[in-house]
Amino acid sequence: MAVNVGKFIRSPEYDITVVTYRDVFQSFACEEDRNGKECEQLSAVIVLDATEMKHMGVQDGANVKLTSKWGSIVVKAVFSPREEQKGIGFMVNSLWSNALVSDETTDGIPEFKNIKVKIKVSNETIISNKEILSS
Amino acid sequence: MTETVTWTCTGCALLCEDIQVSIGDNRIEQVEHACIKGRARILGCNEKAIPTVNGVNAKIDDAIKDAARILMEAKNPLLYGWSNSTNEAQMAGIELARTLGCVIDSTSSFCQGITINEILNGTIPTCTLDEVREKADVMVFWGADPMSSHPRHMSKYSYFPRGELRQRGYEDDRTAISIDVWQSRTAKICKNGFHRIPPGKDIEFMRGLIDALSGRVPKLSFDYDVKRILELAATLKKAEFGVIFAGLGLVYSIKEDIALLSEFMSALNQFCSFSLIPMAGHFNMRGFNHNLHEKTGHIYRVKFDDGGAISGVKYSVIEQIKSGADAVLVVGSDPIASLPVSISRRLKDIPIILIDPCMNLTSQVADVTIPCSTSGIEVGGTAVRMDGKNMDITSLVQGDNMSDEMIIRRIIEEVE
Repeated sequence: MAVNVGKFIRSPEYDITVVTYRDVFQSFACEEDRNGKECEQLSAVIVLDATEMKHMGVQDGANVKLTSKWGSIVVKAVFSPREEQKGIGFMVNSLWSNALVSDETTDGIPEFKNIKVKIKVSNETIISNKEILSS
Repeated sequence: MTETVTWTCTGCALLCEDIQVSIGDNRIEQVEHACIKGRARILGCNEKAIPTVNGVNAKIDDAIKDAARILMEAKNPLLYGWSNSTNEAQMAGIELARTLGCVIDSTSSFCQGITINEILNGTIPTCTLDEVREKADVMVFWGADPMSSHPRHMSKYSYFPRGELRQRGYEDDRTAISIDVWQSRTAKICKNGFHRIPPGKDIEFMRGLIDALSGRVPKLSFDYDVKRILELAATLKKAEFGVIFAGLGLVYSIKEDIALLSEFMSALNQFCSFSLIPMAGHFNMRGFNHNLHEKTGHIYRVKFDDGGAISGVKYSVIEQIKSGADAVLVVGSDPIASLPVSISRRLKDIPIILIDPCMNLTSQVADVTIPCSTSGIEVGGTAVRMDGKNMDITSLVQGDNMSDEMIIRRIIEEVE
């Protein structure tokens, strides 16, 4: 009987910094329907440098799991059309990026734009905003 | 019969006052000049809010009474949101906070509040967008991407217009620079330079620029061509009318070191004329800061107590949800969606009253939901543009719901 060795091999993890940004099209979709599929599809995404993604073994459009000290979330990884700084992933500000943000502040402003996370390829599916809040 | 009116858009804090809207039979039929954000505002949400108490449909009067009961029974209620409300509703909210002797804060608490505070306290020079359109020759978009956040910013005010003193517009008369962690949609347009810096290094880059302005060679801990900073400093020093558009990229990086921003502006103004405009997002975020400042001397994070008002980090929405508030009134905001999830989970355990035109993630967990009319669409009033200019807001159609101001005044009547 053949043994699927792959399932015993853990995907390697890499340290990256997540920076959040605003996107006008995501903003439009979420203003119209925050629970809608389009809002989710434009939100649950991380943009990375293409060369770095290849180095990590991440395919364009693959699911990745992001884990910070404060939470973890599965999102879709996509190639940036431009060369980006290495070790940085860009996420639209949303509930999916907020799952990674610390609640610790000294000034009342959470760290939305400089989030230290570990990233790895994941077979898990992307969960909805309702599931994020109930998890 | 169809009537065409000129309307001020409440899609963002630019408050574009040149939108043409055709209205017939109390319905919006056609909109011209609005950007995608303005269109989203006009179209509204798919799912309108309905009055509920404990998740069950209720009469509006019962929802208001229950909201008042929750606020009166709470020892430390928090009143939060306000950036999508008119000045009139914000003033009613401040009155409610004073009546209850409680904490009031707005979305500016973790947005542009710190820059607006410096401007209202006179430590950072500012100007109007009208002055920018007519006079500005050098502009820096620092951690700001108006092509995504304020789509008409560059075409209506900052970069492309043929201003009174800038007839050759972006072709010859205006210099646009982007400082950011990535090449944003705005950075792609800025023909005079994109300065890519690592996340969280804005303070160091700013110190480097202050050095360069003074003729000193800046030292940076990250890989960056020093010659480019010296060239940037030289460009800024030549400005006749310069403006820094401060985005959240800068604000979130600088935070407690906000005094450095004042130092930077002073350094610039030793050589040239430079102002700063905070890129406030929601249409009346700045209005709340102005209104609260007028009433208390503080712009946000205020606790009313013993007839006075005090402000501090402990009265910020973040700290209050973590360890203070035992009831929250949310007006025109969706904190469950916008706060860190770790804080949203705590918020779910606190009684929530939501006043909003739309169902959102907060309405799904709210104990009481009170639908209100949409400001700038179904109810008029006044608001403060991102540059501090007072603007009139007119309604377009008659809605089915009371305004948020009226609902808050009804709650005040109940709690008095």
